Amino acid sequence: MITPAEIRRLLPHRFPMLLVDRVVEAVPGESLTALKAVTLNEPWYARLGPDAADRDTRYPESLLIESWGQSAGLLSLISGADDLDGAVMLFGSASGVTFHRRVQPGDLLEHRVRLSRRVGDTVLFTGDSRIAGEVAFTVDRMVMAFRPAAALASANT
Amino acid sequence: MTTPVLAELSVEADEPRRTATVTLTVGADEPVFAGHYPHFAIFPGVCLVDCVVRGADRTIPDPGLELCGVDSARFLTAVFPGDEVRIELSWRPLGDDWRCAAELSTARGPAAVVRLRYRVTR
Repeated sequence: MITPAEIRRLLPHRFPMLLVDRVVEAVPGESLTALKAVTLNEPWYARLGPDAADRDTRYPESLLIESWGQSAGLLSLISGADDLDGAVMLFGSASGVTFHRRVQPGDLLEHRVRLSRRVGDTVLFTGDSRIAGEVAFTVDRMVMAFRPAAALASANT
Repeated sequence: MTTPVLAELSVEADEPRRTATVTLTVGADEPVFAGHYPHFAIFPGVCLVDCVVRGADRTIPDPGLELCGVDSARFLTAVFPGDEVRIELSWRPLGDDWRCAAELSTARGPAAVVRLRYRVTR
């Protein structure tokens, strides 16, 4: 269990881009299960007009990937992948992300992340995300890289 | 369509070829910068994916198509406040599905390569 307060200590992300609420299960170096509650009060919905339809309140797929990626980031961090001095975590790539059902406000996502491989400062993840046991989306592979902060200035993410 | 990105997209579509050029300017006022990150604004990679999804939505070859996957998204260089992002987008059939492929760049060169998958759901 990683509390919301501990998530804030581990991840550099803040409102409105801190998209993990709680970690309910974690095995460093292996796996992690995190919760993300989607609400109609998220800032993205503020710009919807009076005629917004169900399609418009769909949670953006981009943010689903971000939320799952932050869960992967938490697993990296508790697995000691940030031992490189002053390293920052970068989202390198994702492949084989498949959406099985739409996500709407009120849904509670359960991100299940497995660390599949670690090569130097690069960590590979796989897993899925469920809503009440039903698979919402699957992730074949996500790659996170830990690089010195200085490398980012040269824009090589 | 709900999006975390404030920037308006400019879309120039070549319908017969099923290609389009999408441009946007990433303003310093993008809401995501407040939290990504508080002391170092960097445009999230997923927001680039979001811009491709919105560009795809504006050029969709069949209104019944729905986004069903991100086959791949690779981030090459960081995007910062003030950057102009150019997206070269192209559609092609892929079996029963459609693929929307996009190459994104800024003045500093290639920024990302994204491949989306769409499926008729009705």
